Amino acid sequence: MSEHAPAAAPHEHASVRTYVRVALILTLVTALEVGVIYIRLLTPIVVPLLLAMSAAKFALVAMFFMHLRYDARPLTAVFVGPLLLATGLAVALMTLTGAFLVFGR
Amino acid sequence: MSTLVARSDLNHQILSIYSIITWVSAIIAGVVFGALGVILVRFRERPGAGGLPRQIRGHTALELAWTIAPALILLVIAIPTIQVIFRTQGAAAPSNALEVTVRGWQWWWEFRYPSLDVVTANEVHLPVGRPIVFLLEGPDVIHSFWVPQLGGKRDVVPGRLNRITLTPDRAGEYWGQCAEFCGASHANMGLRVIVEEAPAFERWVASQKAVPPEPSGDAAEGKALYVRSACVGCHTLRGVSAGTLGPDLTHFGGRALFGAGLWPTNVDNVVAWLKDPPRLKPGSKMPNLHLTDADAKALAVYLTSLK
Amino acid sequence: MAALATTISWLTTVDHKRIGILYGLSAFAFFLIGGIEALIIRLQLAGPQQTVVSAQTFNALFTMHGTTMVFLAVMPFSAAFFNYMIPLMIGARDVAFPRLNALSYWIFLFGGLFLNASFLVGTPPDGGWFGYTSLTLRQYSPGPGIDFWLLGLQILGASSVMAGVNFIVTILNMRAPGLTLMRMPVFVWMTLTVQFLVVLAFPPVTVGLIFLMFDRLFGTHFYDVLAGGDLHLWQHLFWIFGHPEVYILILPAFGIVSEVLPTFARKPLFGAPVVIYSGILIGFFGFGVWSHHMFATGMGPVADAAFSIATMLIAIPTGVKIFNWLATLWGGRLRPTVALHYAIGLIALFTIGGLSGIMHASPPVDLQQTDTYFVVAHFHYVLIGGSLFGLLAGAYYWWPKMTGRLLDERWGRWQFWLMFAGFNLTFFPQHYLGAIGMPRRIYTYGAGTGWAFWNRMSTIGAFGIALSILIFAILAVRSLRHGAVAPADPWDGRTLEWRTSSPPPVHNFDVIPPVYGRDTFWREKHGDSRGHKPAPLPAIADPHGIHMPAPSFWPIVTAAGVVITAVGALTHLWVVGAGAAILLVGAWAFALEHHGNPAHADQTGDLGVDHRKLAMWVFIGSECLLFGTLIATYLAYKGRSVMGPHPHEVLNIPLTTISTFDLLMSSLLMVLALAAVQRGDRRQARLWLLGTAFFGLVFLGFQAWEFTEFVGEGLTLQQNLFGSTFFVLTGFHGGHVTLGVALLLTLWILDLRGKLGVADAPKVEVVGLYWHFVDVVWIVIFTVVYLIP
Repeated sequence: MSEHAPAAAPHEHASVRTYVRVALILTLVTALEVGVIYIRLLTPIVVPLLLAMSAAKFALVAMFFMHLRYDARPLTAVFVGPLLLATGLAVALMTLTGAFLVFGR
Repeated sequence: MSTLVARSDLNHQILSIYSIITWVSAIIAGVVFGALGVILVRFRERPGAGGLPRQIRGHTALELAWTIAPALILLVIAIPTIQVIFRTQGAAAPSNALEVTVRGWQWWWEFRYPSLDVVTANEVHLPVGRPIVFLLEGPDVIHSFWVPQLGGKRDVVPGRLNRITLTPDRAGEYWGQCAEFCGASHANMGLRVIVEEAPAFERWVASQKAVPPEPSGDAAEGKALYVRSACVGCHTLRGVSAGTLGPDLTHFGGRALFGAGLWPTNVDNVVAWLKDPPRLKPGSKMPNLHLTDADAKALAVYLTSLK
Repeated sequence: MAALATTISWLTTVDHKRIGILYGLSAFAFFLIGGIEALIIRLQLAGPQQTVVSAQTFNALFTMHGTTMVFLAVMPFSAAFFNYMIPLMIGARDVAFPRLNALSYWIFLFGGLFLNASFLVGTPPDGGWFGYTSLTLRQYSPGPGIDFWLLGLQILGASSVMAGVNFIVTILNMRAPGLTLMRMPVFVWMTLTVQFLVVLAFPPVTVGLIFLMFDRLFGTHFYDVLAGGDLHLWQHLFWIFGHPEVYILILPAFGIVSEVLPTFARKPLFGAPVVIYSGILIGFFGFGVWSHHMFATGMGPVADAAFSIATMLIAIPTGVKIFNWLATLWGGRLRPTVALHYAIGLIALFTIGGLSGIMHASPPVDLQQTDTYFVVAHFHYVLIGGSLFGLLAGAYYWWPKMTGRLLDERWGRWQFWLMFAGFNLTFFPQHYLGAIGMPRRIYTYGAGTGWAFWNRMSTIGAFGIALSILIFAILAVRSLRHGAVAPADPWDGRTLEWRTSSPPPVHNFDVIPPVYGRDTFWREKHGDSRGHKPAPLPAIADPHGIHMPAPSFWPIVTAAGVVITAVGALTHLWVVGAGAAILLVGAWAFALEHHGNPAHADQTGDLGVDHRKLAMWVFIGSECLLFGTLIATYLAYKGRSVMGPHPHEVLNIPLTTISTFDLLMSSLLMVLALAAVQRGDRRQARLWLLGTAFFGLVFLGFQAWEFTEFVGEGLTLQQNLFGSTFFVLTGFHGGHVTLGVALLLTLWILDLRGKLGVADAPKVEVVGLYWHFVDVVWIVIFTVVYLIP
């Protein structure tokens, strides 16, 4: 098995070693995530911490396993645009239904 | 019941923006229609004219102009809009405000005055010049409380407490109606607001607090029938029954209309209603009780006697 | 026999032009049904206290009128033009996925018939096209009418999203050489924008409908106020879809007008890039203004102010379009065809509808106008004066291309003026009726209201519209029989569809046409703005020869499976089973029909990406909105359950950590499988494919075990709001995992049988993308549902 795809290939993908490394990081971050919820000291910042780690895992899978790092730009746009829209709508929806109690009712 | 006639501070505020927007819209419409008119007259194809018109692809300055100009015009609308939103919704209710709890039911209105211990249905009396806070509660589906001359509508949403604050500024009778589709008889969900001078309002409150006198004659027979039959399950009639699903009937006869604004309150109309409510008001929660003519008559005499 | 063969050829067609015609005919038929509903409504309101229909029937009529006109008339009418014209305008031979295109059509048709079948069984939906809860809950709407409506809408949504993905891929990936994005005709641009709106706006309402369906059929509590539910949730989910839907309905008409005006003014579209950008901006802003439908619901002053300003912002790009259209006409030599009449009619009438829209953008004013006839007038000016006038402009403009015959221009002008007069007589007085206090959706009104006169005028106007539509139908039929034969380019057109015969051959173009710039065909004929004609480009050799897709039975079979499943939901469980079986068999046969066909192997398009891969990414974008809505609902409802068990009492973090790890590792195996297939290493490919599927099954096993535990601890779908949101969110994810496993096992079996070669790597890649997406969704769910306290 070749470590590097030939340059003439339509999309140059990561090597198997990269994939395994990404999987290892994913495992580690997951362990960290589960770990931090038991550390009392981190309670005040646990939510942003968890969201950041979750986002990091999300990005790793999207960039490496889903090849966005190596693929045509428009694919990233077609995915990230809706992703941002979904995030924005989700935050708006939660705000409007009072989940954050930002707007007085 | 025109929205364009203001009988409260709230509707005056609304109309102040309404007129700005109407004028702005009229001017823009004038510009567009004027341009279209010129185009249709000047640039229509004439027979015999050959060749192509000048092939113009665009003009950056023009594009900028007609992007920026509307933005500026919108500011003229947006600024007073925001001001009125916060003035009418943001401020706390004045301390002398009269609270009226409005409950929208399928398909009638219940009004409670918590501070006065008065309950009525479909006709709400208000003193002129005093701030009113309507607290809107929804026991079943979404309705919308709307009295056009007194201001904009506000939904009655189960699980939420909405409010409208306004001060009626002229005595009179104003028609209102449910404005959110709420099922079969959505169209039959009217209400009357009677705005009156303080003394008249006080008299009305006193009359509502009084327990109606013991009936006599036909009416007494009607009362006996009322007590015996299914009426008591749903209706409150102070001193007689305590149902909560239908309108309070304690002063039924004192209200000019019944059935949520559908018919004048008189014996004949009430008999017709009692004989078959769902036929007269589609979907009515009050079933056909299969009353005999005589029983319906006695009940109607009794109910209309309750002033 | 010939008739039978013709019928079969239409039932199995995958030709975009035929599918376009089918969309057009179906849309017109549904449009007539919706129009008859409108006429009955108008008759009932022609005077006070009319008794043409009962209250219940009236409510059903306006519900079905709205639903029909939006989903079954205007949208498919637009789809007719998308289907017929987009491939022609971009110089393609068909859409990216011709069979999927047929599937979209048949699902749409069956969904529309299903919805209207509610009339035949006597229980049409009567909760309004907006279906506000709690009125639409079982408690207040016990009959099957609402079930027809919500199942029908889900079916139609599925059809629309499929078509959306298809057209996005077609437009991005199948343009003729030289047709850069900014050279694309504005109609193509508006189509692209609309398809993104469809793909992104339908998932939120689908989730809302699923919640409603679960509440009605399975006793969940999404809209149960007593259990802690929030009735505003439905309104938000509906209007997050509902407002982009307005642009889904209007932008195609804007696109058509942007083609018709330059053609008949004989000038290029003024500021074409600005028109394109403003269309995109309108679509984008369209997602940020939904709550202006809810100013009366009591969202609070901050939300009111924010949505008011956002709404006013939309007026800017809309105004820019109108000014550019006027500038296009200015200085032109207007050839007064019927199509131009309708296009100019749109400018005039949409201006009125747009201005009344600005009024509603101001919440205080809106509180006096919403839910009155003023709003009815407003959106009919937008949807008839805008959408329908635009579509009729398109019908007169493209009719010769589609049929090879001309429509009678003289009668057409009468038809236009009758339409214009009837329309204004019907709807202009409704502004006034609303202003003097007439609410919407009332089946009767009193004699003392003062509403009678203008209502009568409105009814007379409505019959004017009906007569005008009747004349159009007669003109259309006469044209087909006796119309003058249309040349290839009857209007001196500007875009590629006029460069081929009328009607075009099956393969559209013998040679893929060259593209010299915007308005490429015009440039070929008349030169650029200085009259310089482009040097002819050499003909482009078609690398694959002309390959046209073969007809297929599977789209119609699969679509039948969908609608039979829906029928089953209203009748018997075994019908659901039968429908699902047909659906599954149809879908698999559909997927494998051309497996191994070398003509389908290479689908690389303009973006340098395989069609299927691009489609999967677009679909994943759509799925982001689906899961985003599910997760947002879970979080919005978090802590609102009025009774236990609560999350911290039941969630098992150690167990879920293991299943999360399992799913993460399955993604690793998936990339290994893809790498193996791409290398042609069949042994490893088989191993990793099976491994991925196995890990997926393990995950599902964990989930089944977890669900069983929860039920044992008293947490069911019906127990509380937490149970409802938790099971529906994780259940939906589990459903996705199940589909992924099925796809993986299909690939594995293909490989076992030696039918998964290197050429099939794109298929494995596409399944892999789906699988990884399911994985990332779980990453989010694991964090926000399980870990965040």
